Amino acid sequence: MKFLCIECETAMKFKDVTRPEQGSVTAVFECPDCFTEIAMFLNPSETQMLKSLDLKLGGTNETAQPMQMVRSQLQTGKEDSVPNITSQIEGSETAEGGKCPFTSVISEAYEEESEPETDGLSWTQDALERLERIPSFVRPMAKMGIESYAKDNGHTEINAEVMDQARGNFPAQF
Amino acid sequence: MKSYKELPDDAGSNIVGQVTAQAKRVNQRLSSVKHTIAVMSGKGGVGKSAVTSNVATALALQGFSVGVVDADINGPTIAKMMGVRKSKLEYTSAGVKPAITSLGIKVISMDLLLSEDDAPVLWNAHSQKDAFTWRSTMEVGALREFIGDTEWEELDYLLLDLPPGSERLANVVELIPSLSGVVVVTIPSDVSQLIVKKSVTMARDVLNVPIIGVVENMSYYVCHHCGESEPLFSNDDAVESAFQFTLLGKIPFDPKLSQCNDSGVPYIQQHPNNQASEAIVATVENIKKYFNALS
Ligand SMILES: Nc1ncnc2c1ncn2[C@@H]1O[C@H](COP(=O)(O)OP(=O)(O)O)[C@@H](O)[C@H]1O
Ligand SMILES: [Mg+2]
Repeated sequence: MKFLCIECETAMKFKDVTRPEQGSVTAVFECPDCFTEIAMFLNPSETQMLKSLDLKLGGTNETAQPMQMVRSQLQTGKEDSVPNITSQIEGSETAEGGKCPFTSVISEAYEEESEPETDGLSWTQDALERLERIPSFVRPMAKMGIESYAKDNGHTEINAEVMDQARGNFPAQF
Repeated sequence: MKSYKELPDDAGSNIVGQVTAQAKRVNQRLSSVKHTIAVMSGKGGVGKSAVTSNVATALALQGFSVGVVDADINGPTIAKMMGVRKSKLEYTSAGVKPAITSLGIKVISMDLLLSEDDAPVLWNAHSQKDAFTWRSTMEVGALREFIGDTEWEELDYLLLDLPPGSERLANVVELIPSLSGVVVVTIPSDVSQLIVKKSVTMARDVLNVPIIGVVENMSYYVCHHCGESEPLFSNDDAVESAFQFTLLGKIPFDPKLSQCNDSGVPYIQQHPNNQASEAIVATVENIKKYFNALS
């Protein structure tokens, strides 16, 4: 990805990243000559692509931890294998030049998303109890699936009935 | 207006540099490994993992230093077969310390990273759809990290137990340009051979990977009462006629081999004098012969 300031015929430089919203990331680029700024929005799938390839916008992270992609992206991984992302962020923030805290920002975007946006949806007590019975490693996926089914079908409350309907929609049993 | 090529870099992200750095990490790690061998098959269930773990054990029993990568990310079995399923990985600044078997074989497997026995491999993603779309990319990333981030140190042999089929082999070749070659495992049935020929063609003709040879597994069955050998499948001399490659070994079917795989003590370690062990040793000798002829 490269950006050209058409006015100045100058390559724009990566400048900043704004707080992520619902899995998407916004990157700001600036023309070093006329200081014009542009914003680039990555949708959740594009953000996902970078994460999947273990690539960072705005520069490399020199303090990459061993197996950091697997350990941070594996939903069904062991607790003790989660990498120490904090020290990694500090490392990249203090780095010079093109380095930026993008790793942390993209990770944050996902941490936010791992508790999916509820968008005004509420769960009844028995629906929540049923959710608890789903094996822990498929629960986040199942929850996401039920919520998106509810949203798509205009429900504001998730109860046992909505769960029954949603069940036909994807493979997890609950 | 300037074109893409005229702009100096990608605004500071240096994506190409990042990809190059990933590749460099793998190459550096493998620079102290003498031979890297991928174990492949056409179909699943023909005994790839059983052959990998026993060949690794036979090499270790002969005094070689050996590592095994369980490249079957979604169907990992190596950690169980080699008795290291309960091992904990240790993460250091230099990399990941692998699980180590009683014979000193270094093992890395997805099994060592998963939280529960019945947990499947699921990746974080914004949506379920994304998780499945990017699955294969994540798997290749995992494989890259398994190979490049494990502290193998000096190894004579690094074996990769691939998932069934030849799909993953293309990724392995890309990750390991120095791959020594492929060992193909098959069983003497027409169905298996039909599929395995596709994999061999892919390996040799499309990916240009040397084929070290073919292992015929479950070749025959030795009767425990009379000691006679009986073929298990109809097609008994299929391997020689179907392939122009060295037949590395013919491993008989032995229920004890399956029991050993389940118990986590490799067959060749537990029953070194049985017929199947002799066949595994013969396979190892032929693999060594292949490398000796090269040097
Ligand atoms: N020669 C053999 N004799 C008896 N059982 C075998 C033999 N080879 C493999 N098995 C068993 O067959 C099953 C499939 O073998 P495995 O190595 O897991 O296949 P793959 O890795 O090709 O899918 C396992 O239960 C294994 O223990
Ligand atoms: Mg296997």
